[in-house]
Amino acid sequence: MLKGMTRLVSRVHKMQKLRIRKLDPGRFLHSGTQAPQCLVAHLDNQVPTESPRAISRTLENDPAKHGEQHVGQHYNISIQELKTVFPHGLPPRFVMQVKTFNEACLMVRKPALELLHYLKNTNFAHPAVRYVLYGEKGTGKTLSLCHIIHFCAKQDWLILHIPDAHLWVKNCRDLLQSTYNKQRFDQPLEASVWLKNFKTANERFLSQIKVQDKYVWNKRESTEKGSPLAEVVEQGIMRVRNATDAVGIVLKELKRQSSLGIFRLLVAVDGVNALWGRTTLKREDKSLIAPEELALIYNLRKMVKNDWQGGAIVLTVSQTGSLFKPRKAYLPQELLGKEGFDTLDPFIPILVSNYNPKEFEACIQYYLENSWLQHEKAHTEEGKKELLFLSNRNPGLLERLCAYL
Amino acid sequence: MAAPTVKVALGWSGLGLGVRRAALRLPGLVQVRWSRYGPEYQDPQTDKEYYRKPLAQLTEEETYERELRKTQVIKAAPATKTCSVFEDPVISKFTNMMMKGGNKILARSLMTQTLEAVKRKQFEKYHAASAEEQATIERNPYTIFHQALKNCEPVIGLVPILKGGHFYQVPVPLADRRRRFLAMKWMITECREKKPRRMLMPEKLSQELLEAFYNRGPVIKRKHDMHKMAEANRALAHYRWW
Repeated sequence: MLKGMTRLVSRVHKMQKLRIRKLDPGRFLHSGTQAPQCLVAHLDNQVPTESPRAISRTLENDPAKHGEQHVGQHYNISIQELKTVFPHGLPPRFVMQVKTFNEACLMVRKPALELLHYLKNTNFAHPAVRYVLYGEKGTGKTLSLCHIIHFCAKQDWLILHIPDAHLWVKNCRDLLQSTYNKQRFDQPLEASVWLKNFKTANERFLSQIKVQDKYVWNKRESTEKGSPLAEVVEQGIMRVRNATDAVGIVLKELKRQSSLGIFRLLVAVDGVNALWGRTTLKREDKSLIAPEELALIYNLRKMVKNDWQGGAIVLTVSQTGSLFKPRKAYLPQELLGKEGFDTLDPFIPILVSNYNPKEFEACIQYYLENSWLQHEKAHTEEGKKELLFLSNRNPGLLERLCAYL
Repeated sequence: MAAPTVKVALGWSGLGLGVRRAALRLPGLVQVRWSRYGPEYQDPQTDKEYYRKPLAQLTEEETYERELRKTQVIKAAPATKTCSVFEDPVISKFTNMMMKGGNKILARSLMTQTLEAVKRKQFEKYHAASAEEQATIERNPYTIFHQALKNCEPVIGLVPILKGGHFYQVPVPLADRRRRFLAMKWMITECREKKPRRMLMPEKLSQELLEAFYNRGPVIKRKHDMHKMAEANRALAHYRWW
């Protein structure tokens, strides 16, 4: 039995691309744990094909076990998990794709693997390290961030995910003067929506973490010291006027208690360049508001500083929702500005680039498997070459092109 | 080609004006739609497969044709004609008809969004259906588009003919291009005029295309109305002289 397997293993290693062949299933029923990953993936797709193609799926659904051999392959996230881990934060086109295909598959890519490696080897006694994902438009920064969040959720970290910081600095209908500090402004709607989603994502932690201060909301309501954080969140959701202050309290408590070691904290902010940019919000006398005058932004800036232990900070800079930034800007220095860059310095920059040829093939393969590419010519080599040319292997562009083909 | 001989007779050999007298035009009427290209100009060949054929494999006629093309003048290819494998002349014509004020970018994006919407709706139906029904559900937006427009094409049309001081609506067989034009025109007009205020064009168009694909909906009704009118006026058919 073992001799046959080693012969098969050496054969598989000889081929450049894993050729999918029909195998005798009886041989592998008693296969030991030594079966290498490539063989496991090889077993996954027992579909006979005429020509060697890149395998586009893997059965390894735990992000902790993803390695170099899974680059380019899609792994599945169940819809239940999606609802708990990502109540917000997935790009809207990806949400549409999940709804259409009835499944959520993320591609494993190098930048995410690099970050996973760093996160697995973090020393929680040291201050939190900041990682910044940057790249051109449509290269996959947000989905890489979602991959990391999925990993941390599986490892039972507390996820503090701000889906798009740009949404907090523009198009706010109701700005109230903050009750806590007269100089600052409250955004009740955005804060309450975020609190609802935060509650869905981190239900189990909210009852365990106890508040270490007494907070008085108004003449009749207050939260005592030692009560669970869930009460603060409930207060914020029910009394929308106090939602921003509730968010501030949640952030402060989490930062204070993360170094105690009860839980590990992941701060994930998409579009962090909004914190130091400009806003389009105006006061009643039509004068512009600076970002630090918004209570949400002020508290978030404190969160992103690396003066706490027991977790990690993963950030994304994006031009897509940003205000007053040129379209071609994608580097952290250009998008964060001097103030932002100095505050975030030092950080680990991770470049997210377009697909490499293998990933591109795998993506096309995934679409073909789901019958998403319906045009007859899209199945041909000519069609694939044209898609490659038109999209320049940019994931976002490719998705938009394949949507109408 | 009969035209060169006609031109020589009239002494217009130097000019490139493509004034062609088609058989259907009445004598004495000036043609208003004309091109700057004379009849000797050939259409451009944008098919990549044509040029990829190795010279050894060409038949005698094809070699002769290639040699002949080397000597002929060829029109410039319009910007909308590409050698892309995904190009579809029907889709291009429909996009041009949807375009307003020369905004081709908007028209094209509306068209692609429509195709995407059609695809997503069909996928939803597919996943909700049982195994037997799944085989019958068509998910290719291009086949749905073509079939829908084909279903909307009228077979017979009405033309106003002046006789004895009155205009009579006379049933008349329509040329292929007129039928295709009418189908597309009716589809676009229906979607523009009868849609709710906040509904976007791609959504309405996808709805109408799917209905027309299944042979129901307002555009098919308009085609049937046209047929009924033609049937009702069939007594006037002898007013037609062509």
